[in-house]
Amino acid sequence: MKITQQATDTSLTLNLDGELDASSSVILDTELSKSEVLDYQKILIDCQRLNYISSAGLGVFISHLQRLQDANVKLIFYNMQEKVHNVFEILGLDSLMTIVPTQAEAVAI
Amino acid sequence: MSLRQKLQAVILPLTILSWLVLLYCTLLTASPELATQLGRPAPWLTLVSQALFAAGVFLYQRNRPDPLRGTDFTGLLRRLLLGPGILASVCVGLHLLERFIQAEAPTNDRVFFAVIYTINLALFIVFLASTNYTWRSLVLFRAPTHLRREWLWFELLLGGTLLFRLLNWAPTGLLAYPVMGGLALFGIYLSGNQKWVAYLNRRQKWEVVLLQAGLLLCMGVFVVYFLRIEHDPKLVAPAPQHAFLMLTVFFAAFYSLVGLLVTFFNLPTAGVFEQKREEILSLQRLTQLIQKGQTEKEIYSTLFDSAVQTVGADAAWLTLDTPTDGYSGKYFNIEQEQSAAIHSLLTDYNLGHIEYLNNDLDNSSGFRSLKLPFSSMIVMPLRSTKRRYGSLYMLKDQRHGFDRENLGILQTFTSQTVLSIENLQLLQASIENERVQEELKIASAVQDSLIPKTLPTDNWFEISSFALAAKEVGGDFYDFLHLPGRRLAILVGDVSGKGVTAAFHVAQMKGIFHALMQENPLARNDREKFPVPSRFMSQANTALIHCLEKSSFITASLYIIDYEHGGFVFARAGHCHTLYYHSIKEEVSYFRTAGLGLGIIRNDSYEKHIKNQFYDYNPGDVMVVYTDGIVEARGENKEEYGEERLQRVLERTYYLEAEEIKQHILSDLAEFSYGQPVHDDQTLLVIKFKAVQPDPHS
Repeated sequence: MKITQQATDTSLTLNLDGELDASSSVILDTELSKSEVLDYQKILIDCQRLNYISSAGLGVFISHLQRLQDANVKLIFYNMQEKVHNVFEILGLDSLMTIVPTQAEAVAI
Repeated sequence: MSLRQKLQAVILPLTILSWLVLLYCTLLTASPELATQLGRPAPWLTLVSQALFAAGVFLYQRNRPDPLRGTDFTGLLRRLLLGPGILASVCVGLHLLERFIQAEAPTNDRVFFAVIYTINLALFIVFLASTNYTWRSLVLFRAPTHLRREWLWFELLLGGTLLFRLLNWAPTGLLAYPVMGGLALFGIYLSGNQKWVAYLNRRQKWEVVLLQAGLLLCMGVFVVYFLRIEHDPKLVAPAPQHAFLMLTVFFAAFYSLVGLLVTFFNLPTAGVFEQKREEILSLQRLTQLIQKGQTEKEIYSTLFDSAVQTVGADAAWLTLDTPTDGYSGKYFNIEQEQSAAIHSLLTDYNLGHIEYLNNDLDNSSGFRSLKLPFSSMIVMPLRSTKRRYGSLYMLKDQRHGFDRENLGILQTFTSQTVLSIENLQLLQASIENERVQEELKIASAVQDSLIPKTLPTDNWFEISSFALAAKEVGGDFYDFLHLPGRRLAILVGDVSGKGVTAAFHVAQMKGIFHALMQENPLARNDREKFPVPSRFMSQANTALIHCLEKSSFITASLYIIDYEHGGFVFARAGHCHTLYYHSIKEEVSYFRTAGLGLGIIRNDSYEKHIKNQFYDYNPGDVMVVYTDGIVEARGENKEEYGEERLQRVLERTYYLEAEEIKQHILSDLAEFSYGQPVHDDQTLLVIKFKAVQPDPHS
């Protein structure tokens, strides 16, 4: 798993590349746990190259969901592959998290 | 009692008796008045009693246990000096007493003179015997067999000289000198065995030099006494066994002298011996510490203390790259600022991580600028092939304070330390590993007990199940519960994560299931007696909020089958979709209902995210319930098994019995993921409603 990030004044984009499993989810958790994350209005997760997400990976997003909501930071996923989207959907996360097809839509929110 | 023991027992009385006989003879010889009364003793009696006394004393000493205890050489010499030293003083005292009496009341009485002479002779012989046998202990200290044999020959030959006078062989003139000279040479040869000196430290060596000098003095006292007496006109006693006594005195004195000289000339090298000794002892201490299972801190501390002591450093410090248990190093006679300055200078010179010896620090401008009170330094890194642990720094005030040997010692010390540290770490790791293994075993056993061993059997349906844990303990679970009124509750789920924590949550889930599925006594109608699945899920969610870690969640599906009314209701809390064969439509499809996993939302709003799905089943319908370990199983190219492939299998096998359908699914799955490791737990339940349903009212 490789995580790269770009930041603007109002948003932080994390590009996830590879498989988000038990070991790589630790890296993601470190990134999301940083206090400056709460300074943005939006956290955008680019899932174009995310091939697989395990329950540990989902757990990272779930554990930060409440914290981001409380700080009024939006968490937006985009470019999600079908099978990854399916995992979110089965767990019911699509009703809790904002998942949009394209980057343009993600930025527009 | 053997003959030898009997002989030993009579030696002492016989010796005393022979001395009394000797005294008797001497007295008779000295006093003509007595001699006229009792008759003059035969000369041979004097000689024999004298020889017997000498032989007795020597034999007695010979048979005493070895006076050397361990390697306490100074103690041995001290005891030897104190005993015979007193004898020598007594001898001198008696001689002076006699002189005093002579001066006060000059007589020509020979009796008193003779008595003192006889006593002194006995004292001298006792002194010689004990000295001789002390020397034996020293000569034979860690001696090879041939030396022991040579010593025995020496004793036998010495004993032989006793017979010289006795049998009147008295090898005079030409014969005497070679025999005596030969024996003297033998004694000189034996005096070369001073191996014990090497075992003394510096202080002990000085002590030994003084003790040996004292012993020589004692011997001198006796010899001077006898030499003076020899020419005294009053001496009427026969001369003692000259040959034997001379040889013994010669050997005793020569051995003592050689010992003194060897010890004396060994004094300058004592420091080196001691250093080597100290090194060995320090190494032993280091090694012993490991066996005691001490902490890393103690091992480092021992290394530091031993190194400082052995090398004799004026200042030193030890730094660890990564502190262990809050221990990051140790300082001796040096300020932290000074050590930091030296360290940064070494880093600048790129010498921070290698072995380094500088015996002239002032020669380098960098060190000169630090204005250190030290002139020599050793840097010794602590490292193994795998990693580096830290560095040991030794400093001395004077230039050329360290040598190559010091470097070698420190190398040995540090490598021993690193070995100890790594041993300790290995030991701790293996203990930890064992503990984890043990925990997993327990957790696995607990989880195994949580999975129902018997499946419900009924006329209305068939159930077949399969469960496989990926590692020792997984997070999958399922359970059944018969409810009154021909109803069956089936719970299937998956706890995120693995191991002991997952097993713990499984147990919790099972507890929640059995607790919530109790009949509510306050229910107003039949429908409210048991919670509907959506209600169950939201209650379970509330129960789990406080005990599930933030990043953990649980997916579950609860089915309540009511075969009195031919229907079922279920709720899916984030769990895999239920695969279903509708016999009436002859179609296989998934129930795609919405539903959020448990533990994701941690407030009352969960209820909004879970739905009930009602369905009236028909005879011949098949329900396939599973966990994500099945559909997410990986194939050869990392692709997932998937819902579609599972659906395809049921489309081919729906008409078979539940057990057969399950077998087909499993063999298809095995074919798909052939050769791939099982990453996640796999659970599969196949429920088939029987084609011919019994009459519900019968």
